[in-house]
Parts: sequence; C-alpha cells; structure tokens
Amino acid sequence: MSQPSSAAQVADEVRRIISPADLEAYRRELLTKNDPNAPKVIVCCGTGCQASGSLDVIDAMKKAVAEAGWEGKVVPRVKRTGCHGFCSRGPLVVIEPMDLFYQQVSVDDVEEIVKTTLIGGEPIKRLLYKPPDSKEPVQRVAEIPFYSKQSRIVLKNIGKIDPFNIEDALTHGAYQALAKCLSSMGPRQVIDEVMNSKLRGRGGAGFPTGLKWDSCARVEGTRYVICNADEGDPGAFMDRSLLEGDPHSVLEGMAISAFAVGSNRGYIYCRAEYPLAVRTLTAAIKQAEAMGLLGDNIMGTDFSFKLTVSTGAGAFVCGESSALMSSLEGKVGRPRPKYIRSVEKGFRDSPSNLNNVETFANIPDIIFKGADWFKSYGTERSAGTKVFALTGNVHNVGLVEVPMGSSLREIVYGIGGGIPNKRELKAVQTGGPSGGCIPIPAKFLDINVGFGKLAEVGSMMGSGGMIVMDEDTCMVEVSRYFINFLVEESCGQCSPCREGLTRMLEILTRITQGEGREGDIQLLQEIGTFTNSFSLCGLGTSAANPVLSTIRWFPEEYEAHIREKKCPSGVCKKLFHYEIQAETCTGCGLCRRKCPVQAISGEKKKAHSIDQSLCIKCMECYKNCKFKAIKVL
Amino acid sequence: MKIIMDGNEVAATSGQTILEVARANGVRIPTLCHNDALEPAAMCRLCTVEVDEGRGPRLVTACNYPLRRDAQVFTNSERVRAGRKLIIEMLYTRCRGSELLEELGREYGADFTRFAPNDKQCIMCGLCARVCERVGGKTLTLSGRGVEITVATAFDRASEFCIACGACARICPVQTIKMIDEDGERRILVQGREASRVKLIECVSCGKRFGPVLDLKEINERAGDSKVPPPNQGVCPECSRRNLAARMAERHFEQFETGEEG
Ligand SMILES: Cc1cc2nc3c(=O)[nH]c(=O)nc-3n(C[C@H](O)[C@H](O)[C@H](O)COP(=O)(O)O)c2cc1C
Ligand code: SF4
Ligand code: FES
Repeated sequence: MSQPSSAAQVADEVRRIISPADLEAYRRELLTKNDPNAPKVIVCCGTGCQASGSLDVIDAMKKAVAEAGWEGKVVPRVKRTGCHGFCSRGPLVVIEPMDLFYQQVSVDDVEEIVKTTLIGGEPIKRLLYKPPDSKEPVQRVAEIPFYSKQSRIVLKNIGKIDPFNIEDALTHGAYQALAKCLSSMGPRQVIDEVMNSKLRGRGGAGFPTGLKWDSCARVEGTRYVICNADEGDPGAFMDRSLLEGDPHSVLEGMAISAFAVGSNRGYIYCRAEYPLAVRTLTAAIKQAEAMGLLGDNIMGTDFSFKLTVSTGAGAFVCGESSALMSSLEGKVGRPRPKYIRSVEKGFRDSPSNLNNVETFANIPDIIFKGADWFKSYGTERSAGTKVFALTGNVHNVGLVEVPMGSSLREIVYGIGGGIPNKRELKAVQTGGPSGGCIPIPAKFLDINVGFGKLAEVGSMMGSGGMIVMDEDTCMVEVSRYFINFLVEESCGQCSPCREGLTRMLEILTRITQGEGREGDIQLLQEIGTFTNSFSLCGLGTSAANPVLSTIRWFPEEYEAHIREKKCPSGVCKKLFHYEIQAETCTGCGLCRRKCPVQAISGEKKKAHSIDQSLCIKCMECYKNCKFKAIKVL
Repeated sequence: MKIIMDGNEVAATSGQTILEVARANGVRIPTLCHNDALEPAAMCRLCTVEVDEGRGPRLVTACNYPLRRDAQVFTNSERVRAGRKLIIEMLYTRCRGSELLEELGREYGADFTRFAPNDKQCIMCGLCARVCERVGGKTLTLSGRGVEITVATAFDRASEFCIACGACARICPVQTIKMIDEDGERRILVQGREASRVKLIECVSCGKRFGPVLDLKEINERAGDSKVPPPNQGVCPECSRRNLAARMAERHFEQFETGEEG
C-alpha cells in the first residue's frame, strides 16, 4: 500500500498558528502557493475504491506523470482523496480543471489518460460514465445526476481534499469557524447559534444539538466531548466517509463543542473495523496539534483541547450512548441501567457531550456561515441536510446527501437512478436494523424524508442507512433477517429484549419455513409491542420495528406464508416453485444453459419446462429470462 | 413532592426509588433481579410500573427510578400486568419448574404453554455475578452477549480467585448454583459446571473441615486483622466454643477449690 505523502510534511518545519488572524493570513499564503485552478488528477482512495484497486492506480498515475514529457506545460498534481460516494463505479478518477469524470479505471488505463487527456486534452470515451437510461456518456462531474441532484454541504470537501494533508484542508477553509469562535464569540453565543440553527443529532434519535450542549454546559465538573463513530448499522458508511475523507471537519466541530460547553478533553470512539478512519484521524490530530490548531493553547489563546482516538470492539450496542461510555472506560460495553442523562453523568460519571460524526461535521459551517444559512436547507422541523448510504436494488449505490424533506422518489429515482432489471420498487428500509420498511408503491413514494415524517409511517431516520427493495424481496424474510442480526447484537442483559427477540426469531423462522400457525401474526405483535416498551435501552425499544412495520404494511405477505404456505416474492425456498409460462417462452434456451443442475429441458424455439424434483431454486433462470416467462408460483 | 401511588398519597423523600417508596407504604411490586445490598441492575424488568410526572404515563423500572418531582405511579395497571405476564412466561421457558415463577405466574395469569421450553436453569437476573463482584470474589461474570449471554467464570475455567463464600449460591432465586463441601474441598457449581474448587481448613482440634483456606492477598488485606485470638486460629467454631467452655469450667473449678481451701 502506498503511504500517505504527508507523514513527511509533519516532520518538516511546522508553521505554528499564533493567533486566529494568523490562520487567515496563512490560508491566503497557501492559496497563492497552490493555485486552485492548476491541473490535478484526483484519485478516490475511499475504502470502496481501494477495494477495487485505486491504490495501484494512484501509484501508476504518479509514476506515469513523473515520467511523461510535459514540454512547458504545468505538470498536474496527483492527489488522493476520500470517498466520492459513487462506490459502485470505482475506482474513480477526476481530472481538474476540466471536471472530467472517469470511472472503473484500472492500472492499464493510466498511460492512455496521461497521453490523451492530460497532454492531449481529449476525453477518453470508454472511461466516461453512462447513466442507466441514456446511450450518450456524460463528461463532467457536474452533469452526472447522482452528483448534480445532491446538496453536498457536509460532504463538500470529500473527494476534493487529501485527508492526510492539513494544508489542503486549510485552503478549503478548515478551522476558520474555530478561529471565529476564539476571536469574536463567547461560549454562550456559540451555543445560541447552534440552538438557533435547529440542528438535530444525526446519530439516530434526532435530539436538538444546541439543547444538549446547553445542558452539558450547565453541569459543573470536568466535562468531556465525545464523538460517536461506532457506526454499526449494516450497510451504513456515512460516518466512515467523513472520517476518511474530511477528518478536520469533525475535529473542528468537536473543538467548537468543547469551547462552547467548557471542556478541554475529547475522545473519538471509532469502531476497530475502520482502520483507515483511525489512521486518517490519528494523522489529522497530529498535524493539527503540531500547528497549534488543537492541543494546548489553540491559536495562541488560552483555550486547550486534547483529543484521543479510542477504538471499539465492534459491537452494535456499543453505539448506544451509555454502553459507549462504559466501553470507553474500559468496561464491558453494556447499556447502563440509570435514569440519568450523560450530559449530567456520563463518561467517568462526569458531564459528557456525545454527538455523532455527521453532527459534528455540520458545526463548522453553522458557526462560519450562520444559523440562517443552515436553515435555508431542509424543512421547518428538520433543518439542514442528511447523508444516506443508498444500497440495495438501485442503480447508483453510494453516499448521497440531500436536504431534509427530500422525497423518497427524488432519492431513489432522481439520484439513485431507479431500480435495475426492470423490476418494480417494493419498499425502502431506513433506520438500520431497528428501522421500518416503508412500503412504497403509490402510497409513500412522495413522502418527505425528515425526522417526523418517517416516524409517522413507523420507521425512523436512524443514522442514514437506506436499503431499496424490489418486488423480489420477501418482507417476512427481511424482518427475519433484521431480528436475526439483533439477536446476536443485543447485549442480552434485559429480559424483554433478549427473550422477546428469541421468540420473534423463532416465530419468523417457522413462518418462512412454511410452519407458520394461525395466530402467529397477533403473537408477533404482542411480543413486539412488549419488547419495544419494556426494554432497557434504545436497542430493545426499537428492536421490533422491522416486524411491526412489515406486519403493518404487508399483512397479506404474512398471511400468504401462514395460510397458503406460499412466498409470493419467491424467496422462502420451501414456499414456492418456478414454472415456465408456455405462452411467453420463446424457447431461446438461455435458461436451459444457465441452470446449474440441468433441471430445464425443451427443444429449440419450443416452450421449455422445469423438472421440479431437480430444481434447487437458485434463481438463475428467473433472473436471466429476457421475456419474463418464468413465474413464481 | 407529592406522590400518588395507585390512587393514594404516600410518603416519600426526593431521590428515593419507586420501589423503596412502595415498600415503605405497603405496596407490593414484584422483583426478580433486585437485592437491597446491591446496586440495581434493572435487568429483569418485572418491577416495571407506569409513572406520570405531568407529561403523560411512561413505563419505568421501579427498582432504579428515583422520584424527584410530583408524580402519579400506577404499580399494577393493565399495561404493566400484560408486560409482567410476558416476562414471567418467557423466563419460565428458561427455567421450567421454578416455584418462584409458578407462583408469579398464578398472580399474573401466565400461560406456560405458549412458548416452547428453552431450558437453561437460569433466569439471567445477574444477582450472582453482582454479589460476587460486591464481595470481591472476581469469579462469576455475565459472559457473551445477545441471547447467548450466560453466567460464567473467566474462559470457563475454574476460578483462582473464588473465596468460596457461597454468596452466589445463597442469592440465586432459582437455586441453580450449588455449594458442596466434600472430601476436604468446597466446590461451587453453576449449572453443574465447576466454577471453583477451594481447599477447606482442617480443624486442628477435631479434624473436621470447616471453612475455605484463604490465601488471597487482596481479600486478606481487605478483611484486615480477623481478631481471632491465636489459640482459636485453625480451630473450627464448634471446637472454639467447646474449648473455651472447657477452659472456663477449668478455671471456675480451680477457683472453687481454692475458695474451699481459703
Ligand atoms: C443500539 C444503538 C446503536 C447506536 N449506534 C449508533 C452509532 O453507531 N452511531 C451514532 O452516532 N449513534 C448511535 N446511536 C445513537 C446514540 O445513542 C446517540 O443517541 C447519538 O450518538 C447521539 O448523538 P447525536 O445527538 O449527535 O445524534 C445508537 C443508539 C442505539 C440505541
Ligand atoms: S434492551 Fe437489549 S441491548 Fe439494551 S440493555 Fe436490554 S438486552 Fe441490552
Ligand atoms: S427488579 Fe427491577 S428490573 Fe429486576
């Protein structure tokens, strides 16, 4: 793996910032040194693109650029960045200032990019992105609907700055908001600004951030500021992208919070499964401390703030605030049975302000540009934007940031590019394992995504996971899947959560295996309602949401499983079989060739048929038939 | 602070838990994981009650909810009873035959046939682990997570830190933990599994084994000087008593004789 170039930069002579005004002076100095319009080759090195080989691409690119003959032209800078969000198209390369977007770039393409594009100034057609519904490729980033339909304010620097290079972050405005606090605002004013912005926590519960800071500031004691970077929802990677792509925005948000509540000690609780995030954070803290932007006497003032990264042991429940604090103290990560808020008695029984990564990342701009600017995004009740990790049966899988209150239609079709393979949309799941499945068709496609609206239909905002499900998704199986996840992730200490989940899993398993009984739906509702109201922590009190919401919106699917012993979506293997419709089958023979167990037979151009005794229900024929001749029965 | 419990105003001081107030006023709230000597863990949730502090009724656990402002408490509402019934039914699957749960089941109309048995001989109240920690034994803890959580020793090995005090066996509400003195040793068994095996001291006087050998530095330090006079060390309490009686009788007898002579 290539090492971040900045390790050397820390060792170099470090410029210490001696006052808030000095930061601005230095930023101007950097801007004249690094012309923002100079040619650049930006290679995404987020975790997704790294997995598809971007580190090799960047190494090859550096080498090729160094070896090419530039004949008086400005030599472009090759730069690594965090995740651009469009992971399904990685490795991604952006060429500036042309704003050219190349996708699925491999080492073999590098030479051609240097020759044709960087030297010759011509785009390479085959590396351009083609939206699913058009034949013509798109050249510029700004023209790609996936990007152009987003409002990137939290993610604004991601994909633009080198996360291992603090100078790059400074040219993009890092620490300006902290300088503003230190030079012209008091703690009270900062809290008021955050309160006024109506920012609500992005970690799931949506608690007003300003109010939390205010309560924390009012409690006497050694105060702590803690960042929740545990992000345990399966499929979610909003926080990881922020930490890996723009760590200074999170660090600056935490420093501002510390200034506001009166703390000089902070921790980032980051899950151990995010090694790149831990490395970026550690490097960023080191660089910021060396420059006097964190640590003792920040920017020459008497405000000090020391930050440490602590890694979690990878339990979903450790994201719960009291379990997180126990774990941070070195104890078992189990939620605490105390009716006391952590702003009063949290980490080490001291007043502690815990916020989510994305919440902190929103802070610098709220302070720098003001609460009114922030409120110009989103709705009356849910201000600002939200980052979602869009996954599932949708064309464009990746990170999307939209104003609060955007419709699901806009997210799934506008940005996500719709459902692949000509399938119909069935449901969208938000809120992680404890969210609900919002059933889409006609009914809720135009629902505005915000804290209140999602709760109304039985789901929740959660931290921003969004799974799109098409018509081939069985809702009973979806609910079984999530309950199975929680059965393992519950801490197990309190009986409603532990026993309720055990029983719900048992009932759902038997329903999906064709052994459902009359009365099972009512029993699931009884247990679910009980678990959601008698459990100790937030995991238990939302654990039954997937069950309750799928029963609420898809009762007919449960009934089909229980009464007719049928899985209408063709997922639960014991409850369906495939049949080839003789009227529609053209006898093309594709299914016969695809079937791994030779269960399909038929003559050319004549209707084929499936031998049910051989079929293993692997879906190959169903997925591949171009004429939709195979039916689930 | 005005507290109305099930319709009656009751005496309470700020900071007292609902359970403390209820007990002081003769209101019974069932508990399974509570013990006055230990910090509440609120694990069983059986003591759940409804409380309304002016913003509508909420469910809270009585054993650890501190009353600080005017409140109405409903200790036996329909919602509360329905939840308790489910807790009892589900816990019974883990511990069939428990008289304690059967008794509670009768009180709340539990139907023990609704769920299939899942016998673990443990209701996961956590009392044994908490009392062990309190005593300083460092032997039993709650181990694992999710539905697989169990009471166990470190790495499931017999513990080296057990002081064989037997508090766990005594506190277990379903008698799952056994303490057996046999062949000069005391063994603590958790669900039939040996949690520890500690040598018993042999009485120098009668030869009977009478208590665990304690050579754990930390525990001895915490206990301090036992104030047992040297002649009684190594002697079982029974022999201590008998020896003392014998010595007293001896002294008394001599005195009497001397008295005769004088
Ligand atoms: C089971 C469970 C898991 C959670 N996981 C996370 C998480 O991974 N990240 C997070 O920020 N918040 C998580 N939360 C929410 C936190 O408890 C807490 O509300 C949040 O970090 C507060 O920050 P905010 O006000 O900025 O949202 C979780 C909550 C529960 C109950
Ligand atoms: S609700 Fe679940 S996760 Fe939370 S304390 Fe209870 S058992 Fe643990
Ligand atoms: S006694 Fe209160 S939760 Fe168990």
